[in-house]
Amino acid sequence: MTELATMEFHPRPQAGEPRPWAFPAPERATLGNGLTVLRCHRPGQQVVAVEVLLDAPLDAEPAGLDGVATIMARAFSEGTDKHSAEEFAAELERCGATLDAHADHPGVRLSLEVPASRLAKGLGLVADALRAPAFADSEVERLVRNRLDEIPHELANPSRRAAKELSKELFPASSRMSRPRQGTEETVAGIDSAAVRAFYEKHVRPATSTVVVVGDLTGMDLDALLGDTLGAWTGSSAAPRPVPPVVADDTGRVVIVDRPGAVQTQLLIGRVGPDRHDRVWAAQVLGTYCLGGTLTSRLDRVLREEKGYTYGVRAFGQVLRSAPDGSGASMLAISGSVDTPNTGPALNDLWTVLRTLAEEGLTDAERDVAVQNLVGVAPLKYETAAAVASTLADQVEQHLPDDYQAALYRQLAATGTVEATAAVVSAFPVDRLVTVLVGDAAQIKEPVEALGIGEVTVVAAE
Amino acid sequence: MPMGHTATAQAGSGGLTATEHRLANGLRVVLSEDHLTPVAAVCLWYDVGSRHEVKGRTGLAHLFEHLMFQGSAQVQGNGHFELVQGAGGSLNGTTSFERTNYFETMPAHQLELALWLEADRMGSLLAALDEESMENQRDVVKNERRQRYDNVPYGTAFERLTALAYPEGHPYHHTPIGSMADLDAATLEDARAFFRTYYAPNNAVLSVVGDIDPEQTLAWIEKYFGTIPPHDGKPEPRDGSLPDVIGEELREVVEEEVPARALMAAYRLPEDGTRACDAADLALTVLGGGESSRLYNRLVRRDRTAVAAGFGLLRLAGAPSLGWLDVKTSGDVEVPVVEAAIDEELARFAEEGPTAEEMERAQAQLEREWLDRLGTVAGRADELCRYAVLFGDPQLALTAVQRVLDVTAEEVREVAKARLRPDNRAVLVYEPVSGEAVSGEADDAGATAAATTDENEEAAK
Repeated sequence: MTELATMEFHPRPQAGEPRPWAFPAPERATLGNGLTVLRCHRPGQQVVAVEVLLDAPLDAEPAGLDGVATIMARAFSEGTDKHSAEEFAAELERCGATLDAHADHPGVRLSLEVPASRLAKGLGLVADALRAPAFADSEVERLVRNRLDEIPHELANPSRRAAKELSKELFPASSRMSRPRQGTEETVAGIDSAAVRAFYEKHVRPATSTVVVVGDLTGMDLDALLGDTLGAWTGSSAAPRPVPPVVADDTGRVVIVDRPGAVQTQLLIGRVGPDRHDRVWAAQVLGTYCLGGTLTSRLDRVLREEKGYTYGVRAFGQVLRSAPDGSGASMLAISGSVDTPNTGPALNDLWTVLRTLAEEGLTDAERDVAVQNLVGVAPLKYETAAAVASTLADQVEQHLPDDYQAALYRQLAATGTVEATAAVVSAFPVDRLVTVLVGDAAQIKEPVEALGIGEVTVVAAE
Repeated sequence: MPMGHTATAQAGSGGLTATEHRLANGLRVVLSEDHLTPVAAVCLWYDVGSRHEVKGRTGLAHLFEHLMFQGSAQVQGNGHFELVQGAGGSLNGTTSFERTNYFETMPAHQLELALWLEADRMGSLLAALDEESMENQRDVVKNERRQRYDNVPYGTAFERLTALAYPEGHPYHHTPIGSMADLDAATLEDARAFFRTYYAPNNAVLSVVGDIDPEQTLAWIEKYFGTIPPHDGKPEPRDGSLPDVIGEELREVVEEEVPARALMAAYRLPEDGTRACDAADLALTVLGGGESSRLYNRLVRRDRTAVAAGFGLLRLAGAPSLGWLDVKTSGDVEVPVVEAAIDEELARFAEEGPTAEEMERAQAQLEREWLDRLGTVAGRADELCRYAVLFGDPQLALTAVQRVLDVTAEEVREVAKARLRPDNRAVLVYEPVSGEAVSGEADDAGATAAATTDENEEAAK
């Protein structure tokens, strides 16, 4: 029973003439100390984004000291040869800046955002942090304690708990990728300022680092500015470091992380696939979007918009580590949460969606809408300096050319329905998916076992 | 139709301008040109939020917002999402205490489509709304509630503190997500009545920002929205005004399975849109914004009694704003230890006020936050609507940062002394227990139509 409206209706309008837009091309240079510089002028972007990449990957952490890269990253903003920890934080905030630092598999990344008018000051502080970090005993000890305090909070968060379990399942125990990026209680407790300094001295130097600067650079002498700041950082050259290959076990199976009384089950269903160097990447992005990129993709069309089991389920591919020789890897996954009583039915529907996709393939209409979205949103997605800087930094970190993103848009536009189908079906094969469920085992184990999606084991939440 | 402000930049606006117009049916329109990137943002604020809800129907404004994405006379099913995304745009809607907003960011050449879509649902939602959508979105919203509030540690803190800070019967006593029981009780007829009452051109502001031709844009707006009939008779929300201070400390202890003890508090602060509210924002920034703040230095750096400590401001125009304190304790530290240190810091601040350096830092931080907000067409469109709906003048959005920079240290001290006192707060203490329980991270006041992630979302975050 609906009611008529009294407005005057018009036919749906047609699009106007598209205005040209291209992913910005950075200028690349090398400073005298070996530091690689990428710069990109974005008119109107008054908050400048600076990304610094350090070739200090997690697999370089010494045995038993998982988390030392994280503590080092955090310790960069805890004082230098010029400022105490409190003073450094105050100086940063005084120029309206934020500085984040984190360690991940490919390396350590510092992200500075600062109003253009105070870029010189912000860059100076970051340069001090990299060139002459204090790594004071008491500050490192405090960061270690703080990190230990954070761990129980992460374990209590269903999506983080699921991510931790999936890594442990997929990768062999000897692989750094099997273990939490920021360390465990046992490993973090063993970190001190000497360990942080040793890691810094071994892996942090300008010759293996890159800085990306994006924003409105009008009237700025960036060369002089960089010369006075990051240009003053010195260090030796380094021999290339061998990178271990990524291996993973994606035998179809289910692990339930028991959380008695949970009103929802957190799902994380994943396996490992190629990185962006693989020719399949564009087709895989397209197919994965059709599967679970948005509310109108196949998964949410059923699980959310037909059944109401969830607020939203997404499929995605995320690069873990990338290498030109094909030894890199990405995580291919489906994640979301569903209410506890409907966990079995929701997983059943999810597998049905995957099987139907494998049997019938994508439609041309689905492919067209996906391409229009993925390519069409680019000018929106890259409106801010921070978004551009982050993608440029990703490209460097992943050993991709500076025009990779621009080329990816052309490849997406040229990818057909058949290729996209093949890519997503081989990315998510129904019998090669590791399923982690964080939820109430007493309620969900039996219905999940009945689905036949793999052997089911239950582990304690802690 | 055009009733025009000129497009001349005002002092302190960073060169941004906006023009205002009103259609015969009462729809207010704000336009702002920016040709740097070929994108255009459309933002529509309806002057209705959870404060307009009645007893037994909490969560209805937000549930209704979901129904706005379920099709309208000329748009089938999920067409609002499909058409915008298929045009290379992005979209969503959110509901808060004081308003409901809908927004699209489009490649500039697809702007007309977004206007057509918004007009279609403003004028003809009820031609498509049916029982099936209602039942489906009820389940989706209940799962949104579980995911964001019920299934995460500390997830219900926001709801509990709000209920403590605003008395029973006050329009802000409940949060936009609503209760499970009320979500279950809402009927299709409730949703239809809600639309007929609140969704009208004369109860909305439309802003369009970006690479636009203002004349052409206005002509499209007239064409698509111009014949939607206005209607009056919208009930005013219950009065949200309250005395400046609570007059006593309100307190609740929650024993739940959470990972650590926590001390959270909500202080009653001046209404948004006032100079005193900007002063309060600066006070909270000096005390608890970022890693050089007084509370961070005291609790996290020096005493080492907390994992994290910070203040946030929930700005509200129709009721007192709330100053939001959130401290998670370190190790075995007990709450009274942390609480005593906080009270000492707040009392000292009330006496001394901020130092010149602290003022400089806090103003620099808030200035950057404003640059970020106004740095995207979508952020600017939203702020223009906010100032038009809540304060009657969109131009105020463009000068907001200057007003923050004009506040003096003495004003900051005054508001801290008057408001950041133990007898003006609601306190929530978490004591962990083991065993069966539920638990999350309170974030904002809003609730949104669609979970969003993208290709780069980090699964381990």
